[in-house]
Amino acid sequence: MTRIQLYEEAMCCSTGVCGPNPDDELVELSAALDQLEDEFEGAEISRANMQHNIDEFLNTEEIYDLVEANGPEILPITTVDGDIVAKEEYLSYDELAAELRGNQPQEA
Amino acid sequence: MATTQTTTDAREIVEPSSEDTEFVFFSGKGGVGKSTVSCATATWLADNDYNTLLVTTDPAPNLSDIFGEEIGHEVTAIDDIDNLSAIEIDPDEAAEEYRQETIEPMRELLDDEQIQAVEEQLNSPCVEEIAAFDNFVDFMDSPEYDVVVFDTAPTGHTIRLMELPSDWNAELEKGGSTCIGPAASMEERKKDYERAIDTLQDSEKTSFAFVGKPEDSSVDEIQRSASDLGELGVKSQLLIINGYLPESVCEDPFFEGKREDEQAVIERAKSELDADAMATYPLQPGEIAGLDLLADVGGVLYDGDDATVDVGSATNVEEEESVDFDSLADPDAIAEKLQSVDGETRYLFFTGKGGVGKSTIAATSATKLAEAGYETLVVTTDPAAHLEDIFGEPVGHEPTSVSQVNLDAARIDQEKALEEYRQQVLDHVTEMYENKEDSEIDVDAAIASVEEELESPCAEEMAALEKFVAYFEEDGYDIVVFDTAPTGHTLRLLELPSDWKGFMDLGSLTKGAAPAKGDQYDNVIEIMQNPDKSSFAFVMYPEYTPMMEAHRAAEDLKDQVGIETAFVVANYLLPEEYGDNAFFANRRAQQQQYLGEIKDRFETPMMLAPLRQDEPIGLNELSAFGDEVTGLGALDEQVTEVPQQ
Repeated sequence: MTRIQLYEEAMCCSTGVCGPNPDDELVELSAALDQLEDEFEGAEISRANMQHNIDEFLNTEEIYDLVEANGPEILPITTVDGDIVAKEEYLSYDELAAELRGNQPQEA
Repeated sequence: MATTQTTTDAREIVEPSSEDTEFVFFSGKGGVGKSTVSCATATWLADNDYNTLLVTTDPAPNLSDIFGEEIGHEVTAIDDIDNLSAIEIDPDEAAEEYRQETIEPMRELLDDEQIQAVEEQLNSPCVEEIAAFDNFVDFMDSPEYDVVVFDTAPTGHTIRLMELPSDWNAELEKGGSTCIGPAASMEERKKDYERAIDTLQDSEKTSFAFVGKPEDSSVDEIQRSASDLGELGVKSQLLIINGYLPESVCEDPFFEGKREDEQAVIERAKSELDADAMATYPLQPGEIAGLDLLADVGGVLYDGDDATVDVGSATNVEEEESVDFDSLADPDAIAEKLQSVDGETRYLFFTGKGGVGKSTIAATSATKLAEAGYETLVVTTDPAAHLEDIFGEPVGHEPTSVSQVNLDAARIDQEKALEEYRQQVLDHVTEMYENKEDSEIDVDAAIASVEEELESPCAEEMAALEKFVAYFEEDGYDIVVFDTAPTGHTLRLLELPSDWKGFMDLGSLTKGAAPAKGDQYDNVIEIMQNPDKSSFAFVMYPEYTPMMEAHRAAEDLKDQVGIETAFVVANYLLPEEYGDNAFFANRRAQQQQYLGEIKDRFETPMMLAPLRQDEPIGLNELSAFGDEVTGLGALDEQVTEVPQQ
């Protein structure tokens, strides 16, 4: 099983469909995550944004330290099984898929 | 004496029918005396030994005015009445509490500037809606009271509140994060919401009452609202018509005619509205405040007592203090604020509580401006639009001519606006994927999920905003007249552009993407703040509560959006030539007193509009009425000069 966790800035709604214009990046990301969950049985994907899931930030030392040091500009952060694989930007569908594929055989 | 029989069935409806707490909701357009009736009902229940709580969710509450005692955001025991407590749920304060609760844990991680950015982001209309509703739901579980009386928000708003829980539950079942909050924390409240809906739909536990005036528009409004509620499984059981003219005081054709009209409306309401019980209460020579009058109202509504109309007593009539209308009214000052400057489009906003006649004033102003040669568009954002009734012609979503040269009218239809907004978003998303041909993304699935997301209640709010802003881009009009929604909602609409602007600045700050709509909103805000381009007019009738509410709203407009009130409209002024008796002398003196206070409070020019025997309907009547309204008759001469500049 591979666990992908996203840490995101405070936002109204993570799907991007909110406000006068949809947020393309978030729309794409949401679709990508949905699809990855369908395609990779062992994938567990969850998202935490600062507004709704502040506890995830407070309880994860590495993330806490990064945000404290750099401010929320460091977000979004993507972790795969706890390792940070991206900062300040979202990974694309292809990149996330590659992470999941790469993690399928057991890695240390 | 009052001839209309009141039924004592009303009593059975509001009294608890079992050991369970009874919930009584009063709905109706603002300004119909809903607060008075709620207070009287709560007082009557308390006097009958029921432990009673009175809750208002009105954005501009006036329980304190009626009881003569400060009541706030906390449950407060009413000093002089055993068994009665009251609370005013201020939506602004509730939203602020909700925001602070959300932000508090972030303080540990973020600095002040970052916190401020998040705070700004939480300034969304949805957050305010949730926060207010959350409080409302809290009182649906109050076993310590025998009865909870809700003095609810105006009708359209009430219905939206009612609809929300259903939408939310649908949203929650889908899972995931939504713009109304994290699914996880919503899950905890789901049971509360479900119970609230169940209770609302259970006529054993819940009584739904409508309060209206003896006017066709008021009864129409109730009919619409009642049928909307019916669709949600909420049955309206009690109808109260408040403020009819007592027979004994109508001694001339003008008021006899008005009284006859009113009685016909009451008969119509009786036969057309499917209420289990109906009760009426007459107009008083003064205002209904204080415990004696509240007791009188309760007695009439629920015990079948005759109303006490003590003709000469209420207001202290000081004839010598009578206000000089000519000095109050400055037609040229009003005309100046109505007309466009240097050929630029002028935007006129008539705002105020429901029932103050702003639709009529807006339509009349638009008609006179069109007559004077200005290309004019009149738009209503009121969910319960009256423009159609006023023009006597169909008024649709798109600007359509209403058979007057230079005059178009349009109504923002919420459902259609929502459909347009949905389509716009879907088109946008589809286009985005078309430009990414090499993506492995399942585009259909992606679009389907966006479509699902658009079912959220927030989408409706956004849709309304989109439409509102879009009217600023209508070309070819010299003047655009907005007949806006009731005060609280209007304010929210007006605040929206600023809020979302802030929201989007924040978005662009962190994501580096320029918001496409940012400039458009900037433009709208700038137009609204520019006194040469926009005029905000508060419509009210000269009574205490309407004046106070308009004033609060005007102050908010200034503080929150930086918009100054251009002029005020004092409507329904009693004509001098009719009503020659103590009752009307009293009412007239009262009006004059408030005209003076309005002048002092607002410090703007005043547009005065007389009470008419009938509301003007159709272009001819609107035009004739316009001649009697300050400033509208002064347009003709000026317009010939303006275009030359």
